[in-house]
Amino acid sequence: MKISTKGRYGLRAMIDLAINSSEGCTSLADISHRQDLSLNYLESIFSYLKRAGLVVGIAGAQGGYMLAKPADEITLYEIMTVLEGSMSVYDSFGEETKIRSFLNRNVWDVIDKNVNEVLTGTTLADVLKNMETSRLSGDCSGL
Amino acid sequence: MKLSTKSRYALEGMLYIAVYGKDKLLSIKEIAAGTTVSPAYMEQIFFTLKKAGLVSTVRGAKGGFALGCPENEITVGTILRAIDGNLVPVPCAASLSACKSKVRSNCVSRNVWIRISQAISDTADKQTLEMLKNQFIQEGEGAENENIH
Repeated sequence: MKISTKGRYGLRAMIDLAINSSEGCTSLADISHRQDLSLNYLESIFSYLKRAGLVVGIAGAQGGYMLAKPADEITLYEIMTVLEGSMSVYDSFGEETKIRSFLNRNVWDVIDKNVNEVLTGTTLADVLKNMETSRLSGDCSGL
Repeated sequence: MKLSTKSRYALEGMLYIAVYGKDKLLSIKEIAAGTTVSPAYMEQIFFTLKKAGLVSTVRGAKGGFALGCPENEITVGTILRAIDGNLVPVPCAASLSACKSKVRSNCVSRNVWIRISQAISDTADKQTLEMLKNQFIQEGEGAENENIH
Protein backbone atom coordinates (compact mmCIF):
# COMPACT_ATOMS: atom_id res chain seq x y z
CA MET A 1 0.00 0.00 0.00
CA LYS A 2 1.79 3.08 -1.21
CA ILE A 3 1.11 6.73 -1.90
CA SER A 4 3.11 7.76 -4.99
CA THR A 5 5.84 10.41 -4.98
CA LYS A 6 3.42 12.64 -6.85
CA GLY A 7 0.99 12.45 -3.94
CA ARG A 8 3.69 12.81 -1.30
CA TYR A 9 5.59 15.67 -2.91
CA GLY A 10 2.40 17.38 -4.05
CA LEU A 11 0.96 17.54 -0.55
CA ARG A 12 4.25 18.84 0.82
CA ALA A 13 4.30 21.56 -1.82
CA MET A 14 0.68 22.54 -1.07
CA ILE A 15 1.43 22.82 2.66
CA ASP A 16 4.56 24.86 1.89
CA LEU A 17 2.49 27.13 -0.34
CA ALA A 18 -0.08 27.59 2.43
CA ILE A 19 2.65 28.46 4.94
CA ASN A 20 4.34 30.95 2.65
CA SER A 21 1.43 32.51 0.81
CA SER A 22 0.79 35.36 3.24
CA GLU A 23 2.84 37.76 1.10
CA GLY A 24 1.49 37.14 -2.38
CA CYS A 25 2.67 34.32 -4.55
CA THR A 26 5.48 31.81 -4.13
CA SER A 27 7.84 30.65 -6.85
CA LEU A 28 8.35 26.96 -7.47
CA ALA A 29 12.08 27.60 -7.17
CA ASP A 30 11.55 28.68 -3.55
CA ILE A 31 9.39 25.64 -2.77
CA SER A 32 11.95 23.42 -4.48
CA HIS A 33 14.69 24.91 -2.31
CA ARG A 34 12.77 24.79 0.98
CA GLN A 35 11.36 21.30 0.46
CA ASP A 36 14.37 19.74 -1.26
CA LEU A 37 12.25 18.69 -4.26
CA SER A 38 13.22 18.79 -7.93
CA LEU A 39 11.98 21.89 -9.76
CA ASN A 40 11.09 19.89 -12.85
CA TYR A 41 8.93 17.52 -10.88
CA LEU A 42 7.22 20.37 -9.04
CA GLU A 43 6.38 21.99 -12.38
CA SER A 44 4.67 18.85 -13.55
CA ILE A 45 2.81 18.41 -10.25
CA PHE A 46 1.63 22.03 -10.30
CA SER A 47 0.19 21.64 -13.76
CA TYR A 48 -2.21 19.07 -12.27
CA LEU A 49 -2.99 21.22 -9.24
CA LYS A 50 -3.64 24.23 -11.48
CA ARG A 51 -5.93 22.31 -13.83
CA ALA A 52 -7.88 21.06 -10.80
CA GLY A 53 -8.37 24.65 -9.60
CA LEU A 54 -6.42 24.24 -6.36
CA VAL A 55 -3.70 26.78 -7.22
CA VAL A 56 -3.47 29.77 -9.56
CA GLY A 57 -0.36 30.75 -11.47
CA ILE A 58 0.74 34.34 -11.83
CA ALA A 59 2.99 35.20 -14.75
CA GLY A 60 5.81 37.70 -14.70
CA ALA A 61 9.07 38.43 -12.96
CA GLN A 62 7.43 38.46 -9.50
CA GLY A 63 5.16 35.57 -10.52
CA GLY A 64 4.61 32.17 -9.03
CA TYR A 65 1.72 30.28 -7.51
CA MET A 66 -0.83 30.90 -4.82
CA LEU A 67 -3.69 28.87 -3.37
CA ALA A 68 -6.85 29.30 -5.42
CA LYS A 69 -9.00 29.34 -2.27
CA PRO A 70 -8.41 30.17 1.40
CA ALA A 71 -6.47 27.41 3.19
CA ASP A 72 -9.48 26.59 5.37
CA GLU A 73 -11.52 25.75 2.27
CA ILE A 74 -9.08 23.24 0.77
CA THR A 75 -9.40 19.75 2.23
CA LEU A 76 -6.75 17.05 2.11
CA TYR A 77 -9.32 14.95 0.27
CA GLU A 78 -9.36 17.40 -2.67
CA ILE A 79 -5.58 17.54 -2.84
CA MET A 80 -5.02 13.79 -2.56
CA THR A 81 -7.68 12.80 -5.09
CA VAL A 82 -6.23 15.24 -7.63
CA LEU A 83 -2.74 13.80 -7.09
CA GLU A 84 -3.53 10.12 -6.49
CA GLY A 85 -6.90 9.52 -8.06
CA SER A 86 -8.96 7.23 -5.84
CA MET A 87 -7.67 6.89 -2.27
CA SER A 88 -9.46 3.55 -1.81
CA VAL A 89 -7.32 0.66 -0.51
CA TYR A 90 -8.78 -1.72 -3.10
CA ASP A 91 -9.95 -2.16 -6.68
CA SER A 92 -12.63 -4.65 -7.57
CA PHE A 93 -11.05 -7.66 -9.21
CA GLY A 94 -11.78 -11.23 -10.09
CA GLU A 95 -14.97 -13.08 -9.50
CA GLU A 96 -17.24 -11.61 -6.81
CA THR A 97 -17.17 -14.62 -4.50
CA LYS A 98 -19.18 -14.50 -1.28
CA ILE A 99 -16.03 -14.05 0.78
CA ARG A 100 -14.66 -11.33 -1.50
CA SER A 101 -17.79 -9.23 -1.49
CA PHE A 102 -18.17 -9.78 2.26
CA LEU A 103 -14.62 -8.48 2.89
CA ASN A 104 -15.15 -5.55 0.50
CA ARG A 105 -18.17 -4.42 2.50
CA ASN A 106 -16.99 -5.23 6.02
CA VAL A 107 -13.26 -4.58 5.94
CA TRP A 108 -12.00 -2.58 2.95
CA ASP A 109 -14.94 -0.18 2.74
CA VAL A 110 -14.67 0.45 6.49
CA ILE A 111 -10.97 1.31 6.15
CA ASP A 112 -11.77 3.58 3.19
CA LYS A 113 -14.47 5.33 5.19
CA ASN A 114 -12.13 6.01 8.11
CA VAL A 115 -9.37 7.30 5.85
CA ASN A 116 -11.85 9.52 4.02
CA GLU A 117 -13.06 10.95 7.31
CA VAL A 118 -9.52 12.09 8.08
CA LEU A 119 -9.06 13.51 4.57
CA THR A 120 -12.38 15.32 4.27
CA GLY A 121 -12.25 16.50 7.87
CA THR A 122 -8.83 18.14 7.59
CA THR A 123 -8.14 21.37 5.70
CA LEU A 124 -4.77 22.90 4.84
CA ALA A 125 -5.47 25.45 7.58
CA ASP A 126 -5.87 22.58 10.10
CA VAL A 127 -2.51 21.13 9.03
CA LEU A 128 -0.85 24.50 9.66
CA LYS A 129 -2.58 24.87 13.00
CA ASN A 130 -1.42 21.38 14.09
CA MET A 131 2.15 22.25 13.12
CA GLU A 132 1.96 25.40 15.23
CA THR A 133 0.58 23.47 18.20
CA SER A 134 3.28 20.81 18.06
CA ARG A 135 5.96 23.51 17.65
CA LEU A 136 4.68 25.31 20.75
CA SER A 137 4.46 22.15 22.82
CA GLY A 138 7.96 21.32 21.60
CA ASP A 139 9.18 24.69 22.88
CA CYS A 140 7.53 24.17 26.26
CA SER A 141 9.16 20.80 26.75
CA GLY A 142 12.51 22.58 27.01
CA LEU A 143 11.44 24.65 30.01
CA MET B 1 -3.25 3.71 -2.25
CA LYS B 2 -3.89 0.03 -2.93
CA LEU B 3 -3.28 -2.99 -0.74
CA SER B 4 -1.46 -5.79 -2.52
CA THR B 5 -3.69 -8.47 -4.02
CA LYS B 6 -1.50 -10.90 -2.12
CA SER B 7 -2.58 -9.51 1.24
CA ARG B 8 -6.24 -9.46 0.19
CA TYR B 9 -6.04 -13.10 -0.93
CA ALA B 10 -4.34 -13.96 2.36
CA LEU B 11 -7.29 -12.58 4.32
CA GLU B 12 -9.71 -14.43 2.03
CA GLY B 13 -7.83 -17.69 2.59
CA MET B 14 -7.72 -17.20 6.36
CA LEU B 15 -11.42 -16.39 6.55
CA TYR B 16 -12.15 -19.44 4.39
CA ILE B 17 -10.33 -21.68 6.86
CA ALA B 18 -12.08 -20.06 9.83
CA VAL B 19 -15.49 -20.63 8.24
CA TYR B 20 -15.10 -23.98 6.49
CA GLY B 21 -12.16 -25.61 8.27
CA LYS B 22 -13.88 -26.27 11.57
CA ASP B 23 -14.23 -30.05 11.30
CA LYS B 24 -11.45 -30.92 8.89
CA LEU B 25 -8.12 -29.71 7.62
CA LEU B 26 -8.31 -27.95 4.27
CA SER B 27 -5.94 -28.52 1.37
CA ILE B 28 -4.50 -25.66 -0.69
CA LYS B 29 -6.61 -26.96 -3.56
CA GLU B 30 -9.82 -26.54 -1.55
CA ILE B 31 -8.85 -23.11 -0.24
CA ALA B 32 -7.83 -21.97 -3.73
CA ALA B 33 -11.07 -23.26 -5.26
CA GLY B 34 -13.15 -21.62 -2.53
CA THR B 35 -11.53 -18.24 -3.08
CA THR B 36 -11.05 -18.55 -6.89
CA VAL B 37 -7.33 -17.89 -6.55
CA SER B 38 -4.79 -20.03 -8.42
CA PRO B 39 -3.49 -22.90 -6.24
CA ALA B 40 0.14 -21.98 -6.98
CA TYR B 41 -0.39 -18.41 -5.81
CA MET B 42 -2.36 -19.49 -2.74
CA GLU B 43 0.40 -21.93 -1.86
CA GLN B 44 2.97 -19.13 -1.97
CA ILE B 45 0.76 -16.97 0.27
CA PHE B 46 0.23 -19.79 2.76
CA PHE B 47 3.97 -20.40 2.90
CA THR B 48 4.36 -16.83 4.17
CA LEU B 49 1.41 -17.19 6.57
CA LYS B 50 2.93 -20.38 7.95
CA LYS B 51 6.28 -18.69 8.55
CA ALA B 52 4.40 -16.02 10.49
CA GLY B 53 2.74 -18.73 12.58
CA LEU B 54 -0.75 -17.79 11.41
CA VAL B 55 -1.48 -21.22 9.94
CA SER B 56 -0.13 -24.68 10.72
CA THR B 57 0.05 -27.79 8.57
CA VAL B 58 -0.55 -31.44 9.20
CA ARG B 59 1.00 -33.95 6.84
CA GLY B 60 -0.61 -37.10 5.56
CA ALA B 61 -3.67 -38.26 3.68
CA LYS B 62 -6.04 -36.31 5.91
CA GLY B 63 -3.56 -33.47 6.22
CA GLY B 64 -3.92 -29.82 5.33
CA PHE B 65 -4.03 -26.36 6.83
CA ALA B 66 -5.51 -25.12 10.09
CA LEU B 67 -5.29 -21.78 11.87
CA GLY B 68 -2.02 -21.42 13.75
CA CYS B 69 -3.49 -19.52 16.69
CA PRO B 70 -6.96 -18.92 18.17
CA GLU B 71 -9.19 -17.02 15.76
CA ASN B 72 -9.95 -14.33 18.34
CA GLU B 73 -6.23 -13.52 18.48
CA ILE B 74 -5.76 -13.13 14.74
CA THR B 75 -6.70 -9.67 13.48
CA VAL B 76 -6.95 -8.33 9.95
CA GLY B 77 -3.92 -6.19 10.79
CA THR B 78 -1.83 -9.22 11.76
CA ILE B 79 -2.57 -10.93 8.45
CA LEU B 80 -1.93 -7.84 6.30
CA ARG B 81 1.35 -7.10 8.10
CA ALA B 82 2.50 -10.72 7.76
CA ILE B 83 2.22 -10.33 3.98
CA ASP B 84 3.05 -6.67 3.32
CA GLY B 85 5.43 -5.95 6.18
CA ASN B 86 3.58 -2.89 7.44
CA LEU B 87 0.35 -1.01 6.98
CA VAL B 88 1.65 2.46 6.22
CA PRO B 89 1.10 4.17 2.85
CA VAL B 90 4.26 6.28 3.27
CA PRO B 91 7.37 4.63 4.80
CA CYS B 92 8.21 7.60 7.09
CA ALA B 93 5.01 6.95 9.07
CA ALA B 94 6.60 3.75 10.40
CA SER B 95 10.12 5.11 10.78
CA LEU B 96 11.53 8.57 10.12
CA SER B 97 14.85 7.06 9.08
CA ALA B 98 13.10 5.56 6.04
CA CYS B 99 13.01 9.13 4.66
CA LYS B 100 16.13 10.27 2.84
CA SER B 101 15.12 13.92 2.47
CA LYS B 102 17.47 16.63 3.73
CA VAL B 103 14.52 18.43 5.31
CA ARG B 104 12.94 15.41 7.01
CA SER B 105 13.39 16.82 10.52
CA ASN B 106 11.16 19.76 9.55
CA CYS B 107 8.75 17.72 7.48
CA VAL B 108 5.44 19.47 6.95
CA SER B 109 3.45 16.45 5.79
CA ARG B 110 4.56 13.50 7.92
CA ASN B 111 1.83 14.14 10.45
CA VAL B 112 -0.80 13.66 7.73
CA TRP B 113 0.68 10.29 6.74
CA ILE B 114 0.73 9.22 10.38
CA ARG B 115 -2.94 10.10 10.80
CA ILE B 116 -3.88 8.19 7.64
CA SER B 117 -1.83 5.21 8.84
CA GLN B 118 -3.61 5.32 12.19
CA ALA B 119 -7.01 5.36 10.51
CA ILE B 120 -6.03 2.21 8.59
CA SER B 121 -4.47 0.39 11.57
CA ASP B 122 -7.28 1.26 13.97
CA THR B 123 -9.76 -0.54 11.73
CA ALA B 124 -7.50 -3.45 10.80
CA ASP B 125 -6.39 -4.14 14.38
CA LYS B 126 -9.93 -4.08 15.77
CA GLN B 127 -11.34 -6.78 13.50
CA THR B 128 -10.54 -10.36 14.51
CA LEU B 129 -10.99 -13.42 12.36
CA GLU B 130 -13.55 -14.65 14.89
CA MET B 131 -15.68 -11.51 14.46
CA LEU B 132 -15.50 -11.75 10.68
CA LYS B 133 -16.35 -15.46 10.73
CA ASN B 134 -19.42 -14.96 12.92
CA GLN B 135 -20.60 -12.05 10.81
CA PHE B 136 -20.04 -14.01 7.61
CA ILE B 137 -22.00 -17.00 8.89
CA GLN B 138 -24.79 -14.74 10.15
CA GLU B 139 -25.07 -13.01 6.77
CA GLY B 140 -25.16 -16.39 5.04
CA GLU B 141 -27.97 -17.60 7.29
CA GLY B 142 -29.88 -14.39 6.65
CA ALA B 143 -29.58 -14.90 2.90
CA GLU B 144 -30.69 -18.53 3.19
CA ASN B 145 -33.75 -17.59 5.22
CA GLU B 146 -34.68 -15.00 2.62
CA ASN B 147 -34.64 -17.73 0.02
CA ILE B 148 -36.96 -19.91 2.10
CA HIS B 149 -39.58 -17.23 2.69
